[in-house]
Amino acid sequence: MTAPGDRLGPIEVEVIRNALTAAAAEMDVTVWRTSRSTIVRELLDYSTAIFDAEGNNVAQSARIPSHLNSMGHGLRELLARHVDAAAWGPEDVVITNDPYCGGQHLPDILAFKPVEHEGRRIAFVGTLCHHLDMGGLAAGSYAATATEIFQEGLRIPPVKLVEGGRVNAGVWAMIRQNVRKPDLVMGDLQSQLASLDVGAAALRRLAARYGTEAMLEAGRRILDMSEATMRAAIRRMPDGVYEFEDFLDDDGIVLDQPIRLHVKLTIAGDGIEVDLSGCAKQVAGPVNATLASSQAAVMFAVMSAADDPALAANAGCYRPVRVIAPEGLVVNARHPAPVAHRIAVGHRLLNALFGALHQAVPERIPAAYYGNSYVCTFQTVAEDGSREVLVEIEIGGSGAHPAKDGVNTYASGMHNNANIPVEMIESQMPLEIARYGLLPDSGGAGARRGGLGLVREWRVLSERCVLTANMDRFHHAPYGLAGGQPANRGRLLLIRDGREEPIPPKTDGLVLLRGDVVRLETSGGGGFGDPAGREAAALARDLALGYVTPAAARDVWRS
Amino acid sequence: MSGPPMERPIRIAVDIGGTFTDLQILDPRSGAVHAWKTPTTPEDPSLGLVTGVREAAERFGFALAEVGLLLHGTTIATNAVLERRLPPGALLTTEGFEDVLEITRHYRRELYALAPDPPPVLVPRDRRLGVRERMRADGSVERTLDEAHLLGPLLARLDATGAEAVAVCLLHGYVNPAHEQRVRDLLAKARPGLAVSLASEISPEIREYERSSTTVLNALLVPVVRAYLERLERRLGEGGFQPVVLLVQSSGGVCSLRAAAEQPARLLLSGPSGGTLAAARLAQELGRPNLVAVDMGGTSYDVSLVQDGRVGLVTQGEVDRLPVRLPMVEMRTIGAGGGSIASVDAGGRLTVGPRSAGAKPGPVAYGRGGVEPTVTDANLVLGRLDPDFFLGGSMQLDMPATRAAMAACVAEPLGLSPEDAAEGILAVTNANLGAAVRLSLFEKGLDPRDFAMLSFGGAGGLHATDVAAELGIGEVVFPRNPGTLSAYGMLFSDLVQDIARSRMMPAVPGSLPALAALLAELRGEGAARLARDGVAPADQFLEAAADMRYHGQAFELLVRWPSVADVPDEAALARLVADFHAMHRQRFSYADETAAVEIVTLRIAAIGRLARPPVADAAPAARPARKGMRRLYEGGAWREVAVYDREALTPHDIIEGPAIVEEAFATHVVARGWRAALGPAGALIARHEGGTP
Repeated sequence: MTAPGDRLGPIEVEVIRNALTAAAAEMDVTVWRTSRSTIVRELLDYSTAIFDAEGNNVAQSARIPSHLNSMGHGLRELLARHVDAAAWGPEDVVITNDPYCGGQHLPDILAFKPVEHEGRRIAFVGTLCHHLDMGGLAAGSYAATATEIFQEGLRIPPVKLVEGGRVNAGVWAMIRQNVRKPDLVMGDLQSQLASLDVGAAALRRLAARYGTEAMLEAGRRILDMSEATMRAAIRRMPDGVYEFEDFLDDDGIVLDQPIRLHVKLTIAGDGIEVDLSGCAKQVAGPVNATLASSQAAVMFAVMSAADDPALAANAGCYRPVRVIAPEGLVVNARHPAPVAHRIAVGHRLLNALFGALHQAVPERIPAAYYGNSYVCTFQTVAEDGSREVLVEIEIGGSGAHPAKDGVNTYASGMHNNANIPVEMIESQMPLEIARYGLLPDSGGAGARRGGLGLVREWRVLSERCVLTANMDRFHHAPYGLAGGQPANRGRLLLIRDGREEPIPPKTDGLVLLRGDVVRLETSGGGGFGDPAGREAAALARDLALGYVTPAAARDVWRS
Repeated sequence: MSGPPMERPIRIAVDIGGTFTDLQILDPRSGAVHAWKTPTTPEDPSLGLVTGVREAAERFGFALAEVGLLLHGTTIATNAVLERRLPPGALLTTEGFEDVLEITRHYRRELYALAPDPPPVLVPRDRRLGVRERMRADGSVERTLDEAHLLGPLLARLDATGAEAVAVCLLHGYVNPAHEQRVRDLLAKARPGLAVSLASEISPEIREYERSSTTVLNALLVPVVRAYLERLERRLGEGGFQPVVLLVQSSGGVCSLRAAAEQPARLLLSGPSGGTLAAARLAQELGRPNLVAVDMGGTSYDVSLVQDGRVGLVTQGEVDRLPVRLPMVEMRTIGAGGGSIASVDAGGRLTVGPRSAGAKPGPVAYGRGGVEPTVTDANLVLGRLDPDFFLGGSMQLDMPATRAAMAACVAEPLGLSPEDAAEGILAVTNANLGAAVRLSLFEKGLDPRDFAMLSFGGAGGLHATDVAAELGIGEVVFPRNPGTLSAYGMLFSDLVQDIARSRMMPAVPGSLPALAALLAELRGEGAARLARDGVAPADQFLEAAADMRYHGQAFELLVRWPSVADVPDEAALARLVADFHAMHRQRFSYADETAAVEIVTLRIAAIGRLARPPVADAAPAARPARKGMRRLYEGGAWREVAVYDREALTPHDIIEGPAIVEEAFATHVVARGWRAALGPAGALIARHEGGTP
């Protein structure tokens, strides 16, 4: 099967492509197997990838859409601006978490290592892990009130954590000294290093079998083929200019100022230009994104809309897509804007991108999903002062699709995570879940109904409890399409002594007392098509199941 | 338990699959083992079962009245779920948590899908009813059961649903089942005909969604499995055929008809577990304690492990994306088989799978309407399959149509000859199969080079030596009767009742009294269940295990606790904790001896040993082992290679690759660089020349 590069057949290319994907999967298993923290092991908030010698992503094992493409962006930034490529040896690992050096936000550490064969660089291997904590003013480095990145935690510039095969003890100690839960964080960082070794070994095994030239040639061909598949998919979309906008409620600091995410999408032949110039200027609070995040949202939207299940996700897919995003906007923030909640921008940008794509391929694109990570943290404080922490990330409903109803409570868009079992929470800390259920009438009305959001209630059983929250879609509801209605707006309520009062959705340090109940209502997905067009049997079934109440059927669905 | 053993010595294992019902017949008087296959009768599988037994009795010369034990693997439960042939059911939950079943754990699997297909909701929202009650995590009662509400409005709503089966899953019922039991008693009195499944009996473990899902599956399967077993029992007795029937569970152990009728969810992965049982048996017979077992059929490739002679078990599996939290044989399945379709995409890339031609229309070669070339078609084009000797010659393969499809769909778009295209399809397939095996081992911290490969299933033998070479595995075992190997494994099963109870406690001496009480409770229940199934005390074995984790982790490791006495002492607990650290280190590369360790769930496997009759080697068929020569396309050229008849091989035959070995229901390719000969238990063992490739 050994073939020189210029005679590499399609079979060898596919075998090498699969082997590269398998190598990324082995790296993935290594992180899973050797990491320490719950956030990595349970929320699976990490990705691994293989790059060609220029830093183009050729294979990846991405579980989280927001990581898509962002590692390749980071690596090319490092090679272009921050690291002397000639002095980057095969036993050197460069890491960074700096959003202003190609990263997304401080908890994400990127780590890269070159791979050489017969004295030539044939590839890079890379890992991205969301770490439990990177210091800063809030646990988890997720402060809702930061106004500059210096408050958000430790910034690691591009630096060789490993040089000539030896860990740089100074860098290691510097990180260790600056993070909460240092054993877990350094354990997870160690697992990133182990994963790089596994990936490098897998690539050297391949190179020994196929040869250096064949590996380089295969890399080029793999990217070219994905590019061709992607261009073919884009060519099937009608040419045109499509615009759409959606809004984030606010940045948590300036409360009366919605944040505009505007997309101008131009499809011409086999290419797409995505102009984000109409987005809002960067904001004071931590609801800003760097280009790595915004590009991930663009790529996720375009690859989903391409609707080709065989598409091999790699840097070749990115070539037909051009992103215009001037610096200083909320989608390409300028240093030192805070960026901890960059996922909020990613969600809303994706909502806007799908709204524009709907005009091009209306038969494929669903109405808006809930578009938001409902993050809240409960820190219970017992009478003896002992503390327990619970981080919850809840979700809502998916948007109605032209061909079918949205899915109730379905992790959608830029994030993807599991919930925490009620019985686990109650077994471990003085909190009780008083209710967990679907929220009737939360799906947008339409010929196709949006998926339902949910309601979750936490009752405080400890002396005191401190609540932190970062949520959105409390003012700007998930939109409907083609005459479909928007979904509901979210709500966060404090129920104390039988009285309800709203809690601001971006909150730091709200003190709760024993017996207090916090109630979260999440958004469903938007509806698709005129509600009058809904089949009577479908509406009758929604009523029977209680997805829609009789009052809403009368007032909203007008049946 | 099986009547006078001298009069009813024959033991039969039956594995009912989608297409064929496989039988293995063991006669302990001679040690002879026979294999038989008969078409499955999907409308009532018990018909095919009885037909197969009759045919086998005639063919191998035994009387139906001589059959003492029938070990029965069945996909009836799995198929009922996959095809939604389930009765209407209801779910009773703690009020306020009726939607947990539908919210699921809400993680998505299809990253890019814009019109996602979520997991099925088997009990819709109007049939999920809230019971007014609430337990706390420690088992104390926060809100007492409102019986008036239950027997009044709730019962009226339940009646209106028309449900035939009811699942009851209340919060923290795994700690204190009193409310669930009271609900059942009240329902039994008010509505005696209802089949009620309690979560605290089916899966008494923490995590409400997984427990609900398991209990709902169980409840809906009760009427299905009960009806099947009644049909089967009616068919027994004819012609003196009156064996004791035991059903194969997902864990590989067998259970009585009564246990299966009460807890049918335990049958959900019954079929594939037989292959792994056979692997465990062969590991022993061959003296190979580490085997990776690969089962390749038309649509899937199943990888399981025998490590140090033991089958790997997990405490949760899934069916149609729904969690089933019951012990199961650990298996990695990828959608790659003989029916996987090869095509060339818009970017000029050759892809194999994940689309499959399945059994219908099947590969082009079958002539049943398939038009896209598959992996089986690639094997035919290359001469690895004989168009005139497929399934022992019972089915003719269509070579011209296959070559034409290969040319049109793959070869021409890629600018290759049909042979090179077919060889390319196999190269891509074998690399993918190898990656699946590598990951199965890798995720446990194991090295393929420490394993031998056991290859079975209809398509396994065509790929095994190539896949082994990909992995650096130097030895491949082709067992006797690879097409009915699952049934062979079932022949040597034991009665097993798995009993578990979640009770979170720190793994420290202070927990010993609670642990002792829980162990005693589980052991008592295990012994009672075995006694009910007629297992003599001398044949009873109770194996303890615990699900453990470091404080703060959200998942557990299953740690065996063989050393524990009736009343656990500090030393036994210390050994358990040490074993946990060791297992954690192997699986996850580190252990933290200073961290607090928790026990989440305690388990007992109550085992009723069945006799293990010795098996004699089969005599070779009296005909030449070498059938002749055939043209095989290999390494870019056609060449003549030897074809052997598996049934006629003697221990003196040495097969040098490249060569082909054919038997009734399978074809094996011994690749270049491999040499094969018969070994123990009639297995054909191929070794790479020079050891590890």
